[in-house]
Amino acid sequence: MTKDNRTGTVLLVLAVVFFALGLKFVSGFGTRLPATRIISLVDTQFLDTATFRKSYAELIREKADLSDFDCYACHEKGKPPVLKFDAQQTLIVPKEHEDVVMKHGTHNRNNNCFNCHDEQNLELLQARDGRQIKLAESPLLCGSCHGPTYRDWEAGAHGRTGGYWDRTAGPMKRQICVDCHNPHSPKIPPRKPAPGPHLLHPVASVAAEASH
Amino acid sequence: MQSPPDGLSRRSFLRSSAVLASGLAALAASLAPLRHLNDFPTVEQFLQKYYKELTPEEMKKVLRRIEDEVEREYGLRPHVRDLKPMNGVEFVYALNLTRCIGCRKCVHACVAENNQSRNPEIQYIRVLRLPHGSLDMEKAEHNYNPEMVPEKGYFYMPVQCQQCKNPPCVKVCPVHATWQEADGITVIDYNWCIGCRYCAAACPYWARHFNFTKPSIPKERLNLDMAYLGNRPRRQGVMEKCHFCVQRTRVGRYPACVEVCPVGARKFGNILDPESEVSYILRTKRVFVQLKEELGTSPRFFYYFDV
Repeated sequence: MTKDNRTGTVLLVLAVVFFALGLKFVSGFGTRLPATRIISLVDTQFLDTATFRKSYAELIREKADLSDFDCYACHEKGKPPVLKFDAQQTLIVPKEHEDVVMKHGTHNRNNNCFNCHDEQNLELLQARDGRQIKLAESPLLCGSCHGPTYRDWEAGAHGRTGGYWDRTAGPMKRQICVDCHNPHSPKIPPRKPAPGPHLLHPVASVAAEASH
Repeated sequence: MQSPPDGLSRRSFLRSSAVLASGLAALAASLAPLRHLNDFPTVEQFLQKYYKELTPEEMKKVLRRIEDEVEREYGLRPHVRDLKPMNGVEFVYALNLTRCIGCRKCVHACVAENNQSRNPEIQYIRVLRLPHGSLDMEKAEHNYNPEMVPEKGYFYMPVQCQQCKNPPCVKVCPVHATWQEADGITVIDYNWCIGCRYCAAACPYWARHFNFTKPSIPKERLNLDMAYLGNRPRRQGVMEKCHFCVQRTRVGRYPACVEVCPVGARKFGNILDPESEVSYILRTKRVFVQLKEELGTSPRFFYYFDV
């Protein structure tokens, strides 16, 4: 074989390889783009800025149905309701109020409707010092026991804030205690978390944790 | 057969032409991916001046151009503003670790407000789950996914841009595309960023995020209230990060993460105003940590406890 012939063969092989590569690139045959995972949009419930519940004051503002607060539709005026207790001295919640879960404070500390409600006028609240407080002004009642929290709330450090931080630009949106806390069971119940970050490459331990 | 005196036989000519042709074909083919490059900057984008050098008239033109670009892409006309820091305002953030339940609502409210890419995901806030009694970042987990939060034995620590007083990201930027403004917010000129990602490497909080691909934002979730230094849609190849929602906070509103927090763990305000909530918190609460304060970054983001 002559030198010229060898060079020719090499060139021919190179030409064929280049041509094949060119074809492959153009056609995209055998190229697998990295798999992109489908990430569904987050449920809009997680973008909601509403509070956990609605207070009486909020219901009035929304002109909602207030029949639940019409005590004297059932109770008789001037006749304080009688509370019943079981053998462990735990308050028996009457059937008409069965949606009320008495879980305010630990050690059964709040075992009496009239710790907060005024027994003489059921449409009012009553602080421990005897002051009568309207339902819509309930933070005053809460503050009569929860002093430090009330102080923080007044300063804006406890509770939710929204609207404008700059008071000259617009109103600051504050919530009152019962916008978030159920007065009968104030601890905020656990909730479902929004989806976490989607990893590019799922790790085995994470996948296991996600499935349990 | 005898070769011509110049040494170019018919055979070698054909061979060299074949090699040349295939070589050209291979070169053309290797450039084929460029056909998919659709996010190429326009001449106006390319020639745009640095943010700090733009005159008010030029800025106006730039803002209109950005509005046009967004409208062309999404079919919706946004309102893009250039908001300057307010006088006598320095923003500070305070986060109550006693309250946070790790529900991640802030993460998604932030994504929605600031037009972050949904796929691949870019999120400015990472919520870390830590076991009680420890602040060891090695034990932090941000992929937790239980049925219900909060979980027993853990607390949650959301981390985002700490808006440092001494920001390492600003120091390393080779083109000054990121800087600290008078109200304490570190911002990015997305048109000036060259995408070198030095800032992401310098940030000890993992707060800077890079657009490795063209961001994908569904049209129906696009927030049309935009700011130049804030939430206008970014392009592929630029950096982005939390900017305390400049499009909100510089007109006096609270950031999106503050408004959405269901337990009121997030507090924000002007530290120069002694009446603000953040002033009250820093004065009276057990403000225990600026995250990684030993690094000397001096964050404007404080973590505190109740009681």
